[in-house]
This record gives sequence, C-alpha cells and structure tokens, in this order.
Amino acid sequence: MSIEADAVRHLAEAQVSVELETEDMTLNIGPQHPSTHGVLRLVARVDGERAYDVKPVIGYMHRGYEKLSEVRTYPQITALINRIDWVSGYANEIPFVVAAEKLMEIEVPERAQYIRLILTEMARISSHLMFLAAYPLELGAGTPLFFALRERERVLDLIEGVTGGRFHPNFNRIGGVKPAAGSGSTSRKVAQDLPAGFLDGTRFAMDKVLSVCDDIENLVAGNEIILARTKGIGIIPKEIIAAYGVSGPTMRASGIPFDLRKVENYLPYDRFDFDVPVGETGDSWDRWWVRFEETRQAAMIVQQAIDGIPPSGPLQAKVPKVIKVPKGETYVRAENPKGEMGYYLISDGGQGPYRLKIRSSSFSNISILPWILEGALVPDIIAIMGSLDFVLGDVDR
Amino acid sequence: MTSSPSEATAHPLQEYADSVAEVVGGTARITFDTIKVEVEPKDWVEAHTKARDDLDLVYFSFLSAVDWANEVEAGDPLSEKVEERFEVLTTVSDLTEGRRVTFSTSLDKEGASIDSLVEVYAGANWHEREAAEMFGIDFKGHPNLIALYLPDAFIGNPLRKSYPLLSREVKPWPGTVDVESMPEKTEPSTENPEA
Repeated sequence: MSIEADAVRHLAEAQVSVELETEDMTLNIGPQHPSTHGVLRLVARVDGERAYDVKPVIGYMHRGYEKLSEVRTYPQITALINRIDWVSGYANEIPFVVAAEKLMEIEVPERAQYIRLILTEMARISSHLMFLAAYPLELGAGTPLFFALRERERVLDLIEGVTGGRFHPNFNRIGGVKPAAGSGSTSRKVAQDLPAGFLDGTRFAMDKVLSVCDDIENLVAGNEIILARTKGIGIIPKEIIAAYGVSGPTMRASGIPFDLRKVENYLPYDRFDFDVPVGETGDSWDRWWVRFEETRQAAMIVQQAIDGIPPSGPLQAKVPKVIKVPKGETYVRAENPKGEMGYYLISDGGQGPYRLKIRSSSFSNISILPWILEGALVPDIIAIMGSLDFVLGDVDR
Repeated sequence: MTSSPSEATAHPLQEYADSVAEVVGGTARITFDTIKVEVEPKDWVEAHTKARDDLDLVYFSFLSAVDWANEVEAGDPLSEKVEERFEVLTTVSDLTEGRRVTFSTSLDKEGASIDSLVEVYAGANWHEREAAEMFGIDFKGHPNLIALYLPDAFIGNPLRKSYPLLSREVKPWPGTVDVESMPEKTEPSTENPEA
C-alpha cells in the first residue's frame, strides 16, 4: 500500500469518528417574494431541510379600512372594500351592501339580485382561474397559466363591460346595482340596464371556461411532478380547520361539506342546482382540485342564472337620496372565492357606520401557517403556501 | 335579505337563541337575523367552551371589539349618551346547518382585560392580537400578545374613538363640499427676471 493511499484511509476513519455538528439557521422569506401574493414575510428556523417555528409577519399592507369606514358614508365604503381581496373585488361588496340593506329593511329587486349573483360567480371564476394558473407555475409548470389567463381575461372583460372596472367594480348600490356603463344614454333619462349582448357574451364565456377546465385538467391532473409535490403535502385535519376558522375551498378540501351559499340567504342561490366539491385528505392536491371543480360549478351556476334572470325590471329599490342606515347591528357573511367574508355592521342612524368589523377570509386562512409549516421541508413551504390561495390585501385589510 | 326582522314578534331563530343562552348562561337577543348572546366577562372562556363542546359551534369566525364612547375624535358621535365601555364580540358557527351565534361582553375602559380564548379556539390568536393593539385590551393567558399589524414603535390604539385620524389632522377631508380651494393658478411670468 502506498503511503498516499494509507493516508487517505486514515483520514476517512478520522472523519467518521467526528460527530457532525449542525447549527440551526434562521431563514427569512419575503416580504418581496413572488409566491407570497403580496407582501408576506415568514421567519423560519431551519434545521437541515426542515422548517420549524415559522412566524408569519404581516401588516405591510395594513390600510386601516375599519378606521377609515368610520369617517366614510355608506356609498363611499363600497369603493374601499373592493380593494380588500382585489382578485375578486366584486364579491367583497356583496355582504356589506346586504348588511346595510338588512338594517334599512330594503328588498332588492329580483333582476338586481340575479345580476349580483352572476357577477359574484364570475368573480369567483376569475379568482379561481388565477389560482389554477399560478399554483402550477409556483411548482414549475408554466403552461396552465396561459390557458387559464386567456379565459380569465374574457371574464374580466365582461365584468368591465358591465361595471366599468376589471378589478374594482364598485358596482353595488344599497338597494340594488348601479345602472350599467355603456348602456342607454344618461341624457335621455332612460332606465339603464346591462349592456347589449352581455348575457350572450357571458354564456359563450362560460362555455369557454368549461372547456378550458378540461384543458387544465389534462395538463395538471396527470402531471406526475405536480402530483408528487402536492399529494400528501400540507395535510390539514378537520378539527384544526374549524378551530382556526379556516373557510372556503381550503375547508372543503379537508372533507367538510360546508358552503355558505347553501346555508345563508344573501343571494338567491337556493334557486340553482350546484354541487359542493369536497376533498378527502385535506392535502395541497385536494385544495387545488376543490377550486378546480368549483370553477366548473360556478360556470354552471352562471349559465342557470342567465336562463332564469327576469328579462326586465328595476335594478334599484326605492332608497332615499342621502343614505342613512337606521340604528342597529347585524353580521352578514358570504361565501367568497377565498372563504367566509363578513361584515359586522353597527349603525347609529347616521350616514356612515359607527363600527364596521371586516372579517376577511385570508386572514384566518393563513393564521394556520405556523401550524401547517411546522416540520415541513423547505421546498414544500411554497407548495403549501400557494395551495392556501391567499391575497395579502385580504389578510391586512 | 328578504325577511324583514322585527324584535317584537317571535323570530324563527328565537327558540334556538334561548336554548344557547340557557346552555352558556347569558341573555340572548336577536338583532336583524343575528343571534347575540351577552355573557359576563368572568364567564367568557367557559361560555365559549360550552358553545364549542355542547352546542357544536366548533367554527371560529372572528373576534373583535367596539369602543362605545361619547367623545369621538374621528367619525360621527353617537346620537345618545352611552355607558363608556369596550364591547368584545366573537362569532362562532357550526359546520352543518350554518347556525351562528355572536357572543358579547362588556369591559371597563380602565385597564380593560379579559381571559384569552386561544385554548378554546386556536384561531383566536391573531384576532386577539389585533384587538389588543387596536383597542388596548389585555388578553390574559395569550401566548404571544405582540403587535400584529402595527410597527413595534407605534404608540396608541388606532381603533379607539379617542384616536384621531391623523391624515385628517394634516389635511381636511376632501370628500365634503370643497373644503379646500384649488392651488392658485399662476400665470407664467412675462417679466424677465434677469432684466
């Protein structure tokens, strides 16, 4: 044996006897990170490849809407709350106007309710398509993005055609909906309604959404890499879901068949036939799949609503020129694309609320992060976070 | 939205509201389709434990507070005098029929404090942190009662009615009838400054 080889052997033996010393590392993720959908910061203690004691740091986008709404009038507030969850801005307005209408004891005309329902479901489709596009991208699959965003753009164009805004429609009025943009003529005092061709265009767009769902299913559902990265990753059991107040598709992915559209009466959902997709294990894959199925169901609800919408009728109940909401308090919650969105409204009879508590879905949904990321592999952090589908505007308010 | 609620006649939820009040030991009333059960601060945690275990209200929706104040710095003052207090609100729900109950309790403003609900509903953690920094309420037994939204050096409790909306102190609210005149339009000078 040469001296050299002998030395190598000694060295190898020496290394074996040395105990490996490891040191925990503090890893900072964000606040500027593409997969955080806004400005979320995570501070994690990393031991090897696993993360422990994950601390989310939020508040980078806190805009103080609860304080602001105390100095605003009711019609001004709908413009603010559009910006809470901007991916589905339209849906944010609904529980607020319904709460004010409840206190004012106003009955909204049927046609206005149908328009609200159609636009809410279109907002759900736009929010879910964004998720169906972005989540595979975060896992490294770029193609579904192009399919989903193409149809999402079609849906947003239609929303813009009615409301005038793609993201911030500010379309609801207390007592009904705003006369639509681009229809009739303001100078002629003609009752304005949906723009011509809106219902046909929407029917066509819904067919397209249903067909793009098939495309996305073909691209994603059989993709071995996506399945390997999401199946069994980030499982949330039922009991944890309830205690943390996690809601929406994230809740249903864990096997709880609870949908506020079925139990609350804020919009006439009881007239439509739709399923509530429910997951089995509550892993990241189930969360993707539940939102995927919900997109299809939402498109089918819109198609039914187009068939059932009253062909004409008022869009506004009779309301006073200056809106004053009588004294009282109530809580109204709605099934938003990301979960339960609710407003606890306390009115003193004035032109603005005395107190408006905004219960947003993403806030409770990501409060589960420390629990769910405990002991997760570092590469799984993004896979788990992305599957929760949150928006920081909805967290920080 | 279709039912017109009135508190005088029997509301369809009245029976359930009474049964909730009996189990948790409080008084129930229905305000515009919302069941509101008022409990004593000392029974706060116990009432929620019973709601969760005996009434199956397992889902924690939110916790927040209301500052009932006669003097306000921002917004409209109340039309009638009220008892100065903090009201703490929670809403919990079941996950089958969608029954929801709002619990309420009143705290003295001076040294407001109440037991934390984190042991009963884990989701109360962030909600209590928010209420603590926004109203200055102490949640006893909370594992990590640090600021949630506000920077560490922030002084004050913004959602208290005594807290002014600082941006309005600097610039009056421009939404009312033109409180602020437009900056004066200055014509370009024809004089040569170097002449």
